[in-house]
Amino acid sequence: MYRKRATTIAVVMILVLAAFAAAQTTRKEMHFKVGRRASISIVNQYGPISVKPGPGKRVMVTATLYSGKVEIDQSKRGNRVSVLSHLLDGADATTGRVDYEVLVPADASVTLHSTTGPLRVEKLRGDVILEGSTAMVDVRDVNAAHVHVKTLNGPVTLTNVSDGYVEVTSVSGDVALNAVNGAQVHVNSSSGRIHYDGDFGEAGQYSLTSHSGDIEAIAPSYASIEVVARSVQGRVENDFPLEPEHTSFVTRAGSAFAGTVGKAASSVKLLSFSGKIHLKKREQ
Amino acid sequence: MTCEEFERVLPELGSGHSIEQEEHLKSCPACSDLVGDLNAISQQARHLQGSEEPSPWVWNSIEVALRQEGLIRQPQQQHALLHPPRLSWKLRWLVPAAAVFLVVAGVLMHQRGAAPARIAEQQSQPAGVVTADLQRPNQPEVMAGDDLQLLNTVASRTPSMRAAYEENLRAVNAYIRDAEQSAHSDPNDEVAQQYLRNAYEQKAMVYEMALDRSLP
Repeated sequence: MYRKRATTIAVVMILVLAAFAAAQTTRKEMHFKVGRRASISIVNQYGPISVKPGPGKRVMVTATLYSGKVEIDQSKRGNRVSVLSHLLDGADATTGRVDYEVLVPADASVTLHSTTGPLRVEKLRGDVILEGSTAMVDVRDVNAAHVHVKTLNGPVTLTNVSDGYVEVTSVSGDVALNAVNGAQVHVNSSSGRIHYDGDFGEAGQYSLTSHSGDIEAIAPSYASIEVVARSVQGRVENDFPLEPEHTSFVTRAGSAFAGTVGKAASSVKLLSFSGKIHLKKREQ
Repeated sequence: MTCEEFERVLPELGSGHSIEQEEHLKSCPACSDLVGDLNAISQQARHLQGSEEPSPWVWNSIEVALRQEGLIRQPQQQHALLHPPRLSWKLRWLVPAAAVFLVVAGVLMHQRGAAPARIAEQQSQPAGVVTADLQRPNQPEVMAGDDLQLLNTVASRTPSMRAAYEENLRAVNAYIRDAEQSAHSDPNDEVAQQYLRNAYEQKAMVYEMALDRSLP
């Protein structure tokens, strides 16, 4: 008898709390008409931002707010749209959180800032600038664009970025590039690991550099690269048969190697101070 | 009006001067030369500004640094993204100069080698971003004053982020130390120079992120 009553009370309390939480959640939608190659900027201290291509020349922003301690400021000037989470006094990571889902024209340039993230962008052809301290960053299916990412310790994953100008700087976040190629692909890390899995494209400049993080690059046997790899204190391994090449430093087995594979269409630098470096041949 | 008083109001001067300031300029060749130099730099910087406007994030970082220096005093009332900080036009030349300086100064100081401590002291506040560890190469555990100030700024704004910034600053400082040692041991090593540039770039990024977050 008592047990049944206690269960009933518990259920009622959960429902009341859920209703209370729902009442605290506010959903706000914003629509902007834009032209070709619009510029979209979203600044959100706490919470995720997800950007996908939408229909037509229109930007649609859906923001979910979890308290009254944060407001949304918005502006549109010409072809530039800015949306900002404006924290009020006393807001913290919980009460200041805003979740953004954004649809933009595929050719729009997008700039996203969030401390906590995550930040997700997919299927765009415009430039993508992402910055987040601890935010996880995920960019996929972006073509012919600049992709610039900065994080402190947020992990970064780029997938299917073709013909790009890619620049990733992360202090301690792991960086993974899958099927990423382009004219310029640069990763600069302190202690995060760097993982590259792709074919290094054609006529690109690739540099993966870390202080103490390990670097692993996986390429197919048909890759066409001129490669330099060196670690001052870490171990260096290579699975490819290299044509030797002159370098500005002494290549020592186990700590540095240099050479060419195929026609050496792309330049690849793998540099670490104390991390391990491994250039792997992808198994067919 | 004394030179000290004039220098105090110098950053806030627009195109005109008060009678008192005009009189001081007439009677003081040093201050008159200073204003002349600033005007000349400002004129040159305008040409640069037209070709490539820095992002609002750079403006924000510089503004915070200047505010911490006491060079500007009025707090920014409007949000920086929508309304970029309105620095006096005379100070705008500092923006490209300081942005470039953050990355380049450390490398140059390292390469020149001569009297790095003195240079670091003279340019300590904004430049301290990249010079702090040059002064204490053998004390990796001690966080430099500029770094501590930065962490306090982060903590005052977002306490939960202090630990993350501290951890990452230590990682970057370790990178800089190793890169410097590597470059010292072989100054002609291109790869060592690359490590050094990357390390300083990381530190500049950490400062930029932290200062930007500290805006009201």
